[in-house]
Amino acid sequence: MPHIWPIGGGKGGTGKSFLTSNIGILLARQGFKTLLIDADLGTPNLHTIIGLPNPEISLSDFLNKKVATLEETVLEMPIHNLFLISGAGNKLDISNLAHEQKMKMLRAISRLDYDYILLDLGAGTSFNTIDFFTLSDSGIFVCIPEPTSIENIYRLIRSVYVRKIRQVLRIDRFRSLAEKAEAQDQDAIIHHPEYLLNMLKHIDPEQGSKIERILKAFQFKLVLNQVRRQDSPRIGALICKIVEKHLGMRIQFIGNVSFDERVHEAVCRKESFVEKYSYSQATLDLKVVIKRMTGMTEEQAVALSAPTFT
Amino acid sequence: MKTVEDLNFYELLEVASDASPFEVHQAYKEMYQLYHNDSLASYSFFSREEREEILAKLDEAYSTLMDERSRSRYDQLLIESGILQKEMQYHKDRKKLSLMSDAKRPRSNTALRIRDRLKPIVSSNPTIQEILTHDVLSGEDLKKIRDELGVSLEEIAEIVKVRMVYLQAIENDQFEKTPSRIFLKGFLRAYAQCIGLDADIVANRYLKRMHD
Repeated sequence: MPHIWPIGGGKGGTGKSFLTSNIGILLARQGFKTLLIDADLGTPNLHTIIGLPNPEISLSDFLNKKVATLEETVLEMPIHNLFLISGAGNKLDISNLAHEQKMKMLRAISRLDYDYILLDLGAGTSFNTIDFFTLSDSGIFVCIPEPTSIENIYRLIRSVYVRKIRQVLRIDRFRSLAEKAEAQDQDAIIHHPEYLLNMLKHIDPEQGSKIERILKAFQFKLVLNQVRRQDSPRIGALICKIVEKHLGMRIQFIGNVSFDERVHEAVCRKESFVEKYSYSQATLDLKVVIKRMTGMTEEQAVALSAPTFT
Repeated sequence: MKTVEDLNFYELLEVASDASPFEVHQAYKEMYQLYHNDSLASYSFFSREEREEILAKLDEAYSTLMDERSRSRYDQLLIESGILQKEMQYHKDRKKLSLMSDAKRPRSNTALRIRDRLKPIVSSNPTIQEILTHDVLSGEDLKKIRDELGVSLEEIAEIVKVRMVYLQAIENDQFEKTPSRIFLKGFLRAYAQCIGLDADIVANRYLKRMHD
């Protein structure tokens, strides 16, 4: 069973594609068969960041039935163990995905066979972004220490949480509880996860507590990216404290990734930052993030630093 | 999940019911940083009314728990409603307010008590845990950990009996002002132990920079 990690950020420019590609490279170097999927349907960038400017095949080739299976859109990267499903050739109208096409795509992703599948999501909180979080019990939120990004990450986290609660409420044994909640307050079902949970527990304490336990099993993580020297290193942990205390949602802060001017250069050159600057603070920070994301030991995380050239 | 209205003052401040006034004060400072109007971490999460409500409740919690009599009355209410057990109340004689007032007692006992109190905070604080994953530690890292724990350098100096000028030099990475390596290692170990950290890890990782 692959570990599927949707990586979302609410706002554009937070570094989702950068993190997805470089975390993917580090995992692949560690020997994990890793697939990166550009799930930013309308504005894909992953192929550029990873250094593959003109991929021959894209996700939309599967959606438009140019190829029969999603596996046929997988591109093998020069780095051993690393694979990519690009969005470079996606049609312009792909953002207006029909529901059946979206379900077909999600089902196909869930059947892929890799150790890790990282999904680089688009900005915003549309269903096309949020629905990727239904693929697994895990998810990574990426934020930068600016009020605009923090505001958007809270909206994204709330939206994802509502989506997950609704996913759980679709389970047969919870349907009648969902109907009672909807009758009481439709607004809570759509917008307010914190009130919704309390309402469910009030209507049926036993069922409500079961739902709460299911939700607490979700592994949501937060990464604070582009952290400069003058930024407080505590922001990420405090955001998680707010979410846990006031949304009742379990989320773990897994690290600050330092701002590095050389990221811009690496992106422009379409080179891998973690390979070129393997001893930079940002790369060291990414290894800590991976360690907390995957639960690997400190020795394994340190071993990620040794580049193995193939 | 409890709403803010349902939280009692200890839960709101995230302190134990037998927290000392010093601990209550530190907790209030932390919470205020999180919820005040210009807080970056909680930006946009609350409406203006919600934020004002939380801050008002924080103020009420602080003023109630910092006054001995009002705290006692408040605790009695919690005991009567079954939320608090009598033996979990704060007693001035049982628990000292700060590290400084413990200094009058034998040093080894004081240091052990402080270390035991800070160790759980060290292991549960994500910022501290993140810093402790660094292969190399700087003076700034040590200072950040100390800030997270709410311990002043004066308090550490008093406990470990090391001159402030040396502890300041360690935190400011002013190697030219620190004593010889053998003394420096000893100071680092004492500093680390005082605040609940692993002495060997802290000393070795700090001293790695001196090799460079």
